[in-house]
Amino acid sequence: MALASVVLQLALVVATMLVTAALVVIGPRRLVTALLDVRWRLEMCLLPVAALALVLFLRWSTVDIAVRIEHRVLGNNITPQLFELEQLLFPVNPVAVLQTFQSPELTSFFAFVYIYGYAFLLLFPIVAYFALETMDDLSTLLLAFTVNYTIGLACYVLFIAYGPRNFDPLLFEGLLYDGFPQMRRLTNQVNQSTNVFPSLHTSLSMTVFFLAWLTREKYPLWVPVSGVLAISIAVATMYLGIHWFSDVVAGTVLALISVYIGRSYSIRDLRRSIG
Amino acid sequence: MTRGAPPLTRRHLLAGAGGLGVSALAGCAERFWSRAENNGPDQVSLTIKTVPADDDAMASMIVSRFRENVEAAGIDVSPEPITESELYRDVLLEGEYDVFVIRYPGFDEFDDLYGLLHSQFVSEGGWQNPFHFSSVTADDLLEQQRTESGETRRETLAELFEYLAETTPFTVVAYPDRIGGTRQSIDAPAPPQRAIEFIDLLSTAPAAAGDRDGPLTVGIYGDGLTDRLNPIAVDRNRVPGLLDLVYAPLVRRPSESWEGAAGVASAHSPSNAEPVPPEEYVPWLADDVRWDDTGRLSATVSLRPGLTWHDGEPLDADDVAFTFRLLADTSLGTADSGIPAPRYRGRQTLVDTPDQIEVVDGLTLEIPFGTTTAPAAAQFLTVPILPEHIWEPRSELVAERQTRALTTNNDAPVGSGLLEFSEAGPEELVLEPVADHVLRDSVSTNVPAVLDGFPQFEGLRYNLSPNVGTMVDALLAGDVDVTASPLPPEQIESLADDNAISLLTAPSTSMYLIGYNTHHPELGNPNVRRILSRLIDREYIVSELFDGLATAPTTQESLLGYRDGDDRSEPLSLAGFPGTDGELDVERVRRLFDEIGYRYEDGVLLR
Repeated sequence: MALASVVLQLALVVATMLVTAALVVIGPRRLVTALLDVRWRLEMCLLPVAALALVLFLRWSTVDIAVRIEHRVLGNNITPQLFELEQLLFPVNPVAVLQTFQSPELTSFFAFVYIYGYAFLLLFPIVAYFALETMDDLSTLLLAFTVNYTIGLACYVLFIAYGPRNFDPLLFEGLLYDGFPQMRRLTNQVNQSTNVFPSLHTSLSMTVFFLAWLTREKYPLWVPVSGVLAISIAVATMYLGIHWFSDVVAGTVLALISVYIGRSYSIRDLRRSIG
Repeated sequence: MTRGAPPLTRRHLLAGAGGLGVSALAGCAERFWSRAENNGPDQVSLTIKTVPADDDAMASMIVSRFRENVEAAGIDVSPEPITESELYRDVLLEGEYDVFVIRYPGFDEFDDLYGLLHSQFVSEGGWQNPFHFSSVTADDLLEQQRTESGETRRETLAELFEYLAETTPFTVVAYPDRIGGTRQSIDAPAPPQRAIEFIDLLSTAPAAAGDRDGPLTVGIYGDGLTDRLNPIAVDRNRVPGLLDLVYAPLVRRPSESWEGAAGVASAHSPSNAEPVPPEEYVPWLADDVRWDDTGRLSATVSLRPGLTWHDGEPLDADDVAFTFRLLADTSLGTADSGIPAPRYRGRQTLVDTPDQIEVVDGLTLEIPFGTTTAPAAAQFLTVPILPEHIWEPRSELVAERQTRALTTNNDAPVGSGLLEFSEAGPEELVLEPVADHVLRDSVSTNVPAVLDGFPQFEGLRYNLSPNVGTMVDALLAGDVDVTASPLPPEQIESLADDNAISLLTAPSTSMYLIGYNTHHPELGNPNVRRILSRLIDREYIVSELFDGLATAPTTQESLLGYRDGDDRSEPLSLAGFPGTDGELDVERVRRLFDEIGYRYEDGVLLR
């Protein structure tokens, strides 16, 4: 199975989830209204979209340089420190504890949540906030995403860290790639195995959940859905042996910072304060 | 605001109070000063570098066990996983490590130890003395064995091994079996590793005729496997066989762990503890090598007539002489005292200076080996030959002590082998057979037996997988004919149920080894290295982690990378694990450290 078929499968599953959720959570009427005046909505959120796109483009275009700086220039391998810190704090590493509950069903569930659930969780609020009367929430979301990526990617250059499964296969199992090796083709496209601290899976998911809480009056149903998904994803990253507990904590902190910045400023404000 | 006066007063006040305090607490002050002046004995601390489990699960597991034991011995250990290319940079080029654990492809000749351990290479990069080991005794013995043969050389080597067993610059944990899978129609005795084994596979017709069209597809896995195709770089060229297939050598060493035309005719397999006589080497670019050992040893090498590079340029004796000059100094004389290549360096010192290699005519070279003995000297001729017209311009300096020859990725390698580089992408790398190669010409003389029937396939295709599971999936799906990257023993189950697939296992001379940086303050002490080397239960690792698909070293020689075919097992106290069944006897370890003059405080080993 090559990359193309893995991507196609992801696209089909996530599209189905998005359509279902859009009909249930947003409702057909709102969707139709939104589709009728796409133009001003797009204009309103053009700036945050551009900012996010710029960060993603910079990341994509500088992967080689970033990896060289990470390894050759800075070379801060914090993997042993993460392991030792958790050894100090807990009698048994939280990842190992989670993995004692291992079962094929649980592994399938967490693998599904980690790949498909995550893609859905990030994409759905974009659709949902796009269908609102104002574009404020969408701008907040996009700005928060941008902040997440900016800080997260900076950390990835600053710190080399490998996840538990790569650190010690006798203590921790790499459940995702043992069970679903093909997923590596997909994750290889967007990530390196040294990009562990903090967990962007956690931070982006938590960002969506926190914002769902703040917009609970508009989409009450979205709060429990995103909450369950976000927490499942955070647990999944540890259960699957991909992230340390510290990464998840750092990811949650990053989510709080991002939401705070997203709520307090808009791109327009930022530009005004700089200009 | 009144500035100036108040702070001054305050400072005076503070100074007065401080003085009073100090004199009042004179006893305390003494303790304070002694603390401040001698910052007490610290805990011995080590980092252990190895590749992440994704790249080599077994190396990671060995480190896991080793870490637990070293930690129990009271040492502060930090295991640092680091991607393979960076690990090689850190260990081989930068010397930034304390201890490393890797899978090493295995030694061919006893003389390989020369490059690995001779102090003349202490400041060079690459596989030249990465341990920074320097010992006059070892240097003498390494030089002496080069000049001897037969029983005298054996005695010198025995002395060398005894000395190295005591000083332990590195130690072997286990010899893993080669494990892989193949489609049943392919007649592979083992997962192929070396170029000559790939060639044997390509020469052997698949069992069911017409079963396979197209190239022989070989499954490999890893990160960035095709990023660098530079045959003289050490940090990344990890596609098994690839560069040795594209860049042919003068002669090839026959393979120990391969039955068939490519193998050594040996009763015991595998063994690298038996010197291979030069006559048994397989003639490749050379159709004849005449050894003259009356007086000083020399070899007259005759190239096959009509050899060309893959780009059509003719290959002659000048290219061969050039290759040895380039390996000795990749700047070809521009940089002060030269910039040697990080590979093939040990072999290159077999001749005194590469300038002495005499190009007799376009097809003949005379190589003076001086006092070197023939079995060691033959290794010199297995170096891949590089085209002068491509590599000569690469001698230019691009940075301080860096030439383009060392930094180039060499994306489209041009060699002179039977297979030429065609293309590389994210999922495959393709080699095509060279139709009019001299070795395939019926008029050529002394054609190696392994080429009988070459080729039965339309070339060789490497199928690249990001991880081991994907490689196994590709084999099961029929996309791969045979796997070449090592399969961890735990993956064997996944091949068991499929009737179209056969499991391949074969003992090998590749090894997992623990290397020490002797520049580390504690690791400079051979006694410490010797105790550390005992802190891993090799038998336990073999039976529990490898499911018995590996061999534990039991002799002095096999602890240093030379395994004997007949495995005479006399348990060795030097390798003796202080404990049972993988469980460390902490008291015993502490006594060991105690005996060599180290002290413990609260279970912590002090420097």
